[in-house]
Amino acid sequence: MLEVKDLSVAYGGLRALTGVTLSVPEGRFVTLVGPNGAGKSTLFKTISGVVAPQSGTITFRGENLLARRPAARAHVGIAHVPEGRQVFKTLTVRENLEMGAYPKAGRTQWAQTLERIHTLFPILAERAGQLAGTLSGGEQQMLAIGRGLACAPRLLMLDEPSMGLAPSVADMIFERISQIHREDGLTILLVEQRVAEALERSDHGYVLETGRIVLEGPYETLLNDDRVRRSYLGLTEA
Amino acid sequence: MRQGAGPHLRRSLAVLAGLTVAYLVLTLFVKNSYYQLILTLVPVWALFGVSWNILSGYGGQLSFGHASFFGIGAYTVTLAVVYWRLSPWLGIPLGMVLGGLAAIAIGTPTFRLRGHYFALSMLAYPLAILYVLQYLGFQEVSIPMHRDHPVAFMEFSEPRVYTVIAMALLAGGVAVSLIIENSRFGLALLAIRQNELAAEAAGINARQWKMRSLIVSGMMAAAAGGFYARVLLVVTPDSVFGMLTSAQAVVVTLFGGVASVWGPLIGAAVLVPLAETLQAELGTYLPGIQGVVYGIAIIGIMLLSPDGLFWTIRDRWFRPSGTEPIPDVSGRPAPARPAVAAPGTPLLQVENLSRSFGGLKAVSEVSFSIAQGEILGIIGPNGAGKTTLFNVLNGVLTADAGSAMLAGQQMLGCKTFEVCRMGVGRTFQVVRSFPRLPVLDNVVVGAYGAGMSDREAIASAVRALRQVGLDGQAGVAAGQLTNKQLRLMELARALAGQPRLLLLDETLAGLGREECDSVLAVLAQLRQQGMTICIIEHTMHAMMRLADRFVVLDHGRVLATGLPRAVVEDASVIEAYLGKKWLARQSA
Amino acid sequence: MDLEILIENVLNAVTAGITIGCIYGLMCIGLGLIFGIMRIVNFAQGELLMLGMFASFYLVTGGRVLSFLGPYWGPFIGALCAAPLLFAGGALIHKFLISRVSGLRTAGTLDEGHFGQLIVTLGISLILQNGGQILFGSTPVAVRTPLSSEAFLIGPVYGAATVFLNKAKLIAFFVAILVAIALYLTLEYTRLGKALRAAADNPTAATYMGIEVDSAYRIAFGLGAAITAVAGGLIATYISFGPFVGFDYVIIMYSGVVLGGMGSILGAFWGGLTVGFVQQFSALILPPQLQNAAIFVVFLMIVLLRPQGLFGRSAERA
Repeated sequence: MLEVKDLSVAYGGLRALTGVTLSVPEGRFVTLVGPNGAGKSTLFKTISGVVAPQSGTITFRGENLLARRPAARAHVGIAHVPEGRQVFKTLTVRENLEMGAYPKAGRTQWAQTLERIHTLFPILAERAGQLAGTLSGGEQQMLAIGRGLACAPRLLMLDEPSMGLAPSVADMIFERISQIHREDGLTILLVEQRVAEALERSDHGYVLETGRIVLEGPYETLLNDDRVRRSYLGLTEA
Repeated sequence: MRQGAGPHLRRSLAVLAGLTVAYLVLTLFVKNSYYQLILTLVPVWALFGVSWNILSGYGGQLSFGHASFFGIGAYTVTLAVVYWRLSPWLGIPLGMVLGGLAAIAIGTPTFRLRGHYFALSMLAYPLAILYVLQYLGFQEVSIPMHRDHPVAFMEFSEPRVYTVIAMALLAGGVAVSLIIENSRFGLALLAIRQNELAAEAAGINARQWKMRSLIVSGMMAAAAGGFYARVLLVVTPDSVFGMLTSAQAVVVTLFGGVASVWGPLIGAAVLVPLAETLQAELGTYLPGIQGVVYGIAIIGIMLLSPDGLFWTIRDRWFRPSGTEPIPDVSGRPAPARPAVAAPGTPLLQVENLSRSFGGLKAVSEVSFSIAQGEILGIIGPNGAGKTTLFNVLNGVLTADAGSAMLAGQQMLGCKTFEVCRMGVGRTFQVVRSFPRLPVLDNVVVGAYGAGMSDREAIASAVRALRQVGLDGQAGVAAGQLTNKQLRLMELARALAGQPRLLLLDETLAGLGREECDSVLAVLAQLRQQGMTICIIEHTMHAMMRLADRFVVLDHGRVLATGLPRAVVEDASVIEAYLGKKWLARQSA
Repeated sequence: MDLEILIENVLNAVTAGITIGCIYGLMCIGLGLIFGIMRIVNFAQGELLMLGMFASFYLVTGGRVLSFLGPYWGPFIGALCAAPLLFAGGALIHKFLISRVSGLRTAGTLDEGHFGQLIVTLGISLILQNGGQILFGSTPVAVRTPLSSEAFLIGPVYGAATVFLNKAKLIAFFVAILVAIALYLTLEYTRLGKALRAAADNPTAATYMGIEVDSAYRIAFGLGAAITAVAGGLIATYISFGPFVGFDYVIIMYSGVVLGGMGSILGAFWGGLTVGFVQQFSALILPPQLQNAAIFVVFLMIVLLRPQGLFGRSAERA
């Protein structure tokens, strides 16, 4: 569904990504892991259009995604759950979800989608009228995911959903993401720092280090590969 | 004074003298009395622009209310003549004194504001004065003529004399501005404008410099206003305290070139005759054409050439090509830091440091120490609180609890520039340089904060550049440096203040492999020379080679401290980075 | 006797404070959209008010377009009709000038683009003020309605003290309240309104949701201009004005928005109401020229002492 080929991005004088190639087949759960500063968020920002690449292509369902304006990409079915949640703090929980459903696809299926979101995250129904800025970190993450689901997307991209969350809360979030993939068959691209949690549930994984893909493979292979640990902890002589 | 100030000043003063002479020669040829008036007004508005430039151009504190000072000068001169028979020769200096006092009165509360609040509040003052004056009945005050002692009251039958006086005042203002530009005053202002936080971290007491710039600016503006009143003979509140007056200073300077002494001159020379002529020719059909011209000029400049004409012309056609020679500082002794911690005691001791934002504990009971001459690496996953820790140590944020002792002295509770003076140098993730200034000037700013004299500061800066290997680039404009060189320059700026402790924030971020290696070599060499370094980094492989010890933070707490090899094998650290499940699988 | 006069003066100041205060409240909502929510510093806000006044004037009196409505209703309808004109004007100003120094382009910069906004809008203000002088002349005009010299009399309430409810101001008061409510409902409950708020809250996240932030800002700016224009048209019914009138109201607008708290439309309304009150009450003790000086003092005190205002959602300070 999503094909990234040979993508190179540099901004502010920094080379963020170099020659990155990855693919997210339809219906699959793909994970991208890597240490801090590896360029994971940059990749998402490039897919979403907030950052422009120097070279390379991104195709979505066969179409050149780079030709679309950033705001138009949500309308073709890409949902982005950003790093740090980025909920609309001055809007209520319910209004945040409604904004997630801004594209047409979201609006036509709104009733079912909302019910699904409330089933997955009952707390969002409870706190529907509360200002999003007053939610806890975990609740905001749930809201951000709910917001991503609200447009009935074809591809759900999640950027470090566990960041800043206590481990037990992060575990719950991963559980839910897994559930969404299993039950709804949604295509998911997950970027994470927590390797095992992320890889375990996914079909295929990529490891990004200083802007390059250094390892990839099905999760079993990666989980047993000590090169991943060495990459994170700076023990590689790359 | 800055490096190279001597020859630079001489050149500029020569240019100034030349322009003055040429201008005065021009006045000899102009016969029409209206154009003679314009020739007199151009230097007045130019002087007003120069005064605005000092506060808002160099210093970056955008003021929309400079008419306060202009009007104070105008009314002082006028009322002094009317009520006390005080000649404008004395009235103008008196106005300048009052302008300076007004600057203190206005600056003290208003400098607590920043950005647009500052600009809007500065607007309020002249308007308030305007309303009060209208209320007090000073609708229109004229300066009476003194036929018996004309010269004593600055009255001349030959209108060209006024032009001479105007140029003299302008030349004085420009000279002051040039001296400021070439001294630490100017560099401090530029640093504050560029990034006030980083300037404070480099030891600059922003509040003090801003006030000084306002006082100089206010006095100069009052002089311009005082002379203006003398020339026009009639003052109304609106003509000297009004919005258009304040706008004139802004427009003239922005159009001509902000933060350069020539900018207001260019702006005034172009816009004032243009506006005045249009007003004279078309004023009856198109009243207010003056304001329209200024409005268009300023929008055009902002969209097309935001720094003003002077810079655009200079950047396009007069790029300074060569590098200026590096001064020979071998003869000057290095100002040495007082002896540091007694051997055996740590240089920095942090105990139970905590800082929360709302309910979030960004830094929670963090304790660690750094020994003299050690490189400590602070690592941890994203969002662990590392930069917050630095911000607390640096004085940018206050701590909720805990203590941090630098060689026995408490760091917490001090303002940022005070912490710098204690001997802490800090670099920031985003390097902000003065792109048009040479590297040496960029670096010497760090030395001013440490309380050195000008010569000592230059010597210190040169040494710092040598330490990082940039001494070959000392004269190059900072805008031409590569990314790696910019990082090294930032490091040199911190070093120029002769710190005992360096706090480095992600110095290696985004650098390629070789660039990283060369920066690492510089840091290793610094350690060999006895520097103590505390560095936040994500580039793990670099940190493994550089750091003596690690402190690992996660969710604001210290997870582990110790030797790098030991720390990365530590279970809790692996869990923090790679997740619990990974750890479980590995041990299974 | 004196007590009666005092009571009469106070009561009339109260009614004037409420009626004029609500008109100021509407005016502040206009700025609140632009400055409070979008954080765009607009120096030309007073000129937008002025253009609204002149638009209403030309529709009603000058151009006689609405003269069929008669002198009683004409001016108020004229005020409302100024809205679409200024919406278009505001959107154009935003598209060509303001968008270059705000929005996504400047989000995340050190000063959020405020320097550029201040300068560009200063230029716009100069052009509009002086251009206005060229187009409209400097003779003060007014959009008069016979209602401005009629009043409802309430009382006598205490002795001979009577409260005068000026009819024109009363109607203006109702129009202001209605428009304010209409805007509030639009922002709170319509999809467009929510999208505007989202775009101002977090432009990057809004782009992820598929909202065109540039368009949203343009619409919000246009709306802000339109609301201010309506307020201008209403004010035009009880004062005479010239091209430089915007100036007297700029500080009132900023005081109201800051007092009410940035980011809050409701707050902007209350802020404007409060400032209106202060102004009318100060008329009891201060002469006219000093009333405006008093507003400045109020503005400075708010900004220095309580910059987050009464209802503020964020503190913007040094």
